Amino acid sequence: MLRLGITVFTVAALVLAAGFTFTIGSPVASQDYQAKAAAFVFRTEGCAEPAKAQISGTAEGLVKGARRSVVLKVTAMTKPGVYAVYQNWPPEGEWVVNLKGTCTDASAGAIVPIGPKGFIRESSKFFQRPATNAEIETSLRALAKGGNK
Amino acid sequence: MFTKHFSGQLASYIDGELAQRKVQQAELHLGQCARCRTECEQVRYGMAVLEHLPLVEAPEGAWASIEAAFQQSRSRTTATTGRWRLAFAATVVLVLAGVAYWAGVHQSGMRWEIVRLAGSPIVGAKQIREAGRVGAGEWIETDSRSRAAVKVGEIGSVEVGPNTRVRVVAMRPDEHRLALLRGEIRARIYAPPRLFFVDTASGTAVDLGCEYELKTDEDGFGMLRVTKGWVSFQWKGLESLVPAGASCRTRPHVGPGIPYFDDASENLKQALESFAFEKGGNETLSIVLTESRARDTLTLWHLLSRVEVGDRERVYDRIAALTPVPDGVSREQALKLNPETLKRWKEELSWTW
Repeated sequence: MLRLGITVFTVAALVLAAGFTFTIGSPVASQDYQAKAAAFVFRTEGCAEPAKAQISGTAEGLVKGARRSVVLKVTAMTKPGVYAVYQNWPPEGEWVVNLKGTCTDASAGAIVPIGPKGFIRESSKFFQRPATNAEIETSLRALAKGGNK
Repeated sequence: MFTKHFSGQLASYIDGELAQRKVQQAELHLGQCARCRTECEQVRYGMAVLEHLPLVEAPEGAWASIEAAFQQSRSRTTATTGRWRLAFAATVVLVLAGVAYWAGVHQSGMRWEIVRLAGSPIVGAKQIREAGRVGAGEWIETDSRSRAAVKVGEIGSVEVGPNTRVRVVAMRPDEHRLALLRGEIRARIYAPPRLFFVDTASGTAVDLGCEYELKTDEDGFGMLRVTKGWVSFQWKGLESLVPAGASCRTRPHVGPGIPYFDDASENLKQALESFAFEKGGNETLSIVLTESRARDTLTLWHLLSRVEVGDRERVYDRIAALTPVPDGVSREQALKLNPETLKRWKEELSWTW
């Protein structure tokens, strides 16, 4: 019985960990009034204990041809696994947000381009690993060229 | 048509209890009769005051004195004296209740700051030169060239647009309330939800942590546009939840319509208007369903509980085709409009809004 329990738990953990990823949304999705001024919100998916997930992020920018990087303040909302990203990067230039997370042994990443009207859902990219530098550079260059909607 | 004044039917008109034909006659008459318009405004004001009167406990001593007076009035041979005592006791109770209400409303003289932004806004009967204060019960009025900004206690601010008439109804820590008779306001509220309210003739905007613009005319034709957070737009048990980027119209005797995102297609918006306010039928519903994107599940989620029972399946199926139905939402419970199911679904759908 114990062996069966351990097996079920392990399989469940593997299934959950295998699906660890992010979902982004507008601030209203958090159902938390404190998020209303956020650039966007996101939540973890496939993490058995979202409250224990390690989340961080940077804003990666191209300002007058020069690369910039700003560490983000990612704020946890009332509901576990839901976070708000507030804009702390300069208004000028082109910017993408690079999100990283770990849940037990699984990793997730996302690149979220920021346009003049806010985050661009359609051009956002999601990974079950951290985004690579090359992927960040590609998204940033595409945004600068107007390749992102 | 009402060729005479219709004072006797004003309350029924405002409560939406008149037949449609009578309503049209009344509105035609109101358009031509300043006296009835003024009376209408006074009755609306009175009704709003009554709605917001707090319940005040009568002091123990007052009840005791009433009972004592009542007992004495029985035992006394002179009925006149007893009646006078009873009347006196009742007057004491009324005065105490009045004082308690006044104290509650005026918060020991608490008033909000108001600043002139343009022209010559008026508070009560006084023009504001640069800055002033406004208290509960007072009207703020602007003409076509005037604008003003009101600091709503410690929770935010309201910009009063041109040609606007708005009254401060309550300024308590747990209830900051305005009544917008006509014109436009822009509210920015930083407080937790349900502390700031704006009444109009056809709906109350309840702040859920938000920034928004609200327009209305005196009859209740209005529009709410939310720029941040959520607003709950309510009228007689009907509720429209309007998130940032969305708008919601409201109509007299109908209340808030169905919210839609400002970037929705014009076809969808027109069909929705027809469906909500002109009893548009099957064809208009088909247009709304066809024109909907994933983001327009905001509109479809509201439609689910406002279409005829027979049309619910069509709405459900369209939402399910646009976004996966989440765990915890069953078709059966959604079609039954189970409140928990609908709430769960809305929370999940809002990730696409």
